[in-house]
Amino acid sequence: MHKVLSNKLAIFTFVFPGLAFFLFMFVAPVILSFYYSMTDTIAPGLDVNMVGLSNYTELLFHDERFWLSLRNAILLGLGFVLIQHPICIFFAIMLDRIGGKSEKWFRTIFFIPCVISVVVISRMWLTLLDPTFGMFNKLLSVIGLDSLQHVWLGDPNTALGSLLTILIWSGFGWGLLFYYAGVKGIPEDIYEAARLDGAVGFKLHWKMTIPLLKPVIAVQMTLAIVTALKQMETVYLTTNGGPGDSTQFVAVYLYNQAFAASQYGYANAISILFILVCLLATFVSNKLVKGDSIEY
Amino acid sequence: MSKPISKSLASAIALMVAVPVALTACGGNNNNSNSGAAATNSAAASNGSGESVTLRFFSNLPDRKSGQGLIEQTVIDNYVKENPNVKIEVEALAEEPFKNKLKAYMASNEPVDVTMVHFGAELGTLVSAGWIEELNPADYEGETYNFLPGVFKGFTFNDKLYGLPRNSDYEVIYYNKKLFADNGIKVPTTLDELFEASKAFRDKGIEPMSMNGKDLWSMAVMYQNIAQRLSGDQNSILDATAGTKKFADDANLLEAAKILKRFADEKVFNTAYMTMDYGASQNLFTQGKAAMWYMGSWEAGMASNESLPQEFRDNLGVIQFPTITGGKGIADDLIAWNGGGYALVKASKHPEEAKKFFDYMMRADQWAKIAWDTGAAVPAQKYELTGNETEVQKQLTDILLNAASTSGMTFNDAGTAAFKDASQNAVGKLLTSGSPEKFIEELQAAADKQ
Repeated sequence: MHKVLSNKLAIFTFVFPGLAFFLFMFVAPVILSFYYSMTDTIAPGLDVNMVGLSNYTELLFHDERFWLSLRNAILLGLGFVLIQHPICIFFAIMLDRIGGKSEKWFRTIFFIPCVISVVVISRMWLTLLDPTFGMFNKLLSVIGLDSLQHVWLGDPNTALGSLLTILIWSGFGWGLLFYYAGVKGIPEDIYEAARLDGAVGFKLHWKMTIPLLKPVIAVQMTLAIVTALKQMETVYLTTNGGPGDSTQFVAVYLYNQAFAASQYGYANAISILFILVCLLATFVSNKLVKGDSIEY
Repeated sequence: MSKPISKSLASAIALMVAVPVALTACGGNNNNSNSGAAATNSAAASNGSGESVTLRFFSNLPDRKSGQGLIEQTVIDNYVKENPNVKIEVEALAEEPFKNKLKAYMASNEPVDVTMVHFGAELGTLVSAGWIEELNPADYEGETYNFLPGVFKGFTFNDKLYGLPRNSDYEVIYYNKKLFADNGIKVPTTLDELFEASKAFRDKGIEPMSMNGKDLWSMAVMYQNIAQRLSGDQNSILDATAGTKKFADDANLLEAAKILKRFADEKVFNTAYMTMDYGASQNLFTQGKAAMWYMGSWEAGMASNESLPQEFRDNLGVIQFPTITGGKGIADDLIAWNGGGYALVKASKHPEEAKKFFDYMMRADQWAKIAWDTGAAVPAQKYELTGNETEVQKQLTDILLNAASTSGMTFNDAGTAAFKDASQNAVGKLLTSGSPEKFIEELQAAADKQ
């Protein structure tokens, strides 16, 4: 074995496929994208006119829509971290405690949104939230809260909030699944020992489960933030960034600039900045929840 | 030790190479076999042996059983019947997905043969990408084609023709006569009456006017319509778009923005208009849940579309966009253009066969005649009245024949694709959160960038 690993050809053979994959599928497109971001081309394969860094200066200093879309993506990330994930953890612990048949039932039910296609989810929520025929407004009227009826996705004041709710709802199952697996991985005897020491109920989970879930939480936070930044399909299918840019997200904006506005060079500049933002967010979230590995 | 290792190493390398190759082969399988088949086909076709050719046709009309989709399919079926060696594969997507996929096809130089195209900015992008075949206008003169004068405007770039229009498009308001009559509401001819009617419908719990706000373009066209009704000038907004004057130079443009905003403030549009796409807004209207629909003449086919309720079709009427008190524009001024059409694709694998089919389709006795006879659209070519026209067709013909002036273009399509995106986005903002003054600034900024 040692001999194999000291054989340069062998090392090359083992490393090369992975490296080649990384280079061609990730590095090369990014470099190409960077090249296009310095041009004003309107579509790939067309006349290329170098414009230097002007796309970037335009983007950083003159483009309100980009900053708005970035802000919305970050808000979504915060929504995931501060609202969705605590709920996921809570439900994961509850699910674990319920046990038996109902555990299986609820586990399946909670995971349903994750197996439904994004298109279906989007249409479903559009229908639910329809101001005139939607069930949500009807429900409000039935319980006597007519005054709260609203054009949820069509009003710039509530569109973003409604969209965040949809996204948090539809991503809930995944988060739950990971935390549930994490909770299941904690040995029962640790709990028993803790109970003997007098830890019960909320305190037990706050002091025991959550710290033990830290590695899962660390990974999940990073994933949540990156998912939020990359959010595209649901927004595109429900509001397409509207009304009036109020639900504009970076990925949707990027897509529309590239393919609706035919500003391919500019869209590539957005994508390069987008990569930087994602890397930065990953770095920061890793720093914030630096999980010490726990062995049990 | 080293020999056996290198042997297993060799097989490992072979495997590593083989797996991706096998994978790519799987993925690319369809394309490969297609292009292979296509290559033999084109060779056969050019030999004139009449061997089978498959043409790819890309359309924005997914409903092949009624309306314009049916005309398209009928023309295709006619052609295939006359030319049994030709097969035509139709790929049809709804409007917005169609536009997006068309750009993707353009970017990958996809060998589509004939495609539907939208005039102005959209076609302009395809043309500058070198994806669209140039046409010779002289080929389309004379009685075989019978195009109306001036209809090539939105398909001409640098004096070269790149596509042919299929329809005469102009914005009107479709309305539901029964809803107006049952509620004792007057069909509006002025803007004030329109606002009054909307209020009356709202009081009755009926949506006044359905609007596909998510798509944004029809609100941009409405803005142009209002501006024209104020100024009586078709060219002002187009000149501002072209940069020969400023948007702020014409006070009517600001005033029009204020009026358009009133449409939203007074809840003229259906409540969920900002999340409604084309199909959803049409459904709202055809199901009798909205009294009016601001849409183009290409929807003439609603009156003869048997999949719609008989009651709705009997009560479908058309009115011109209302006039504005004190405005210089009259009801007979039309926001009219030739928006939809067809073009030949340069990447085509069978350019000759494609052109034959294209020319056949655009003949006055094919698309134009079938469109008019079935009542599905108002063609861009001369057509003869059959005497069997629906009431809606008659009204639409009257509106077109009596037009005092036509705009020729819609302003949002008259610039680049980036201008279209920015101007339509500005309209969306104006209606929801922005101010009319900011709107004019944004239009100016978008025009300056061109």
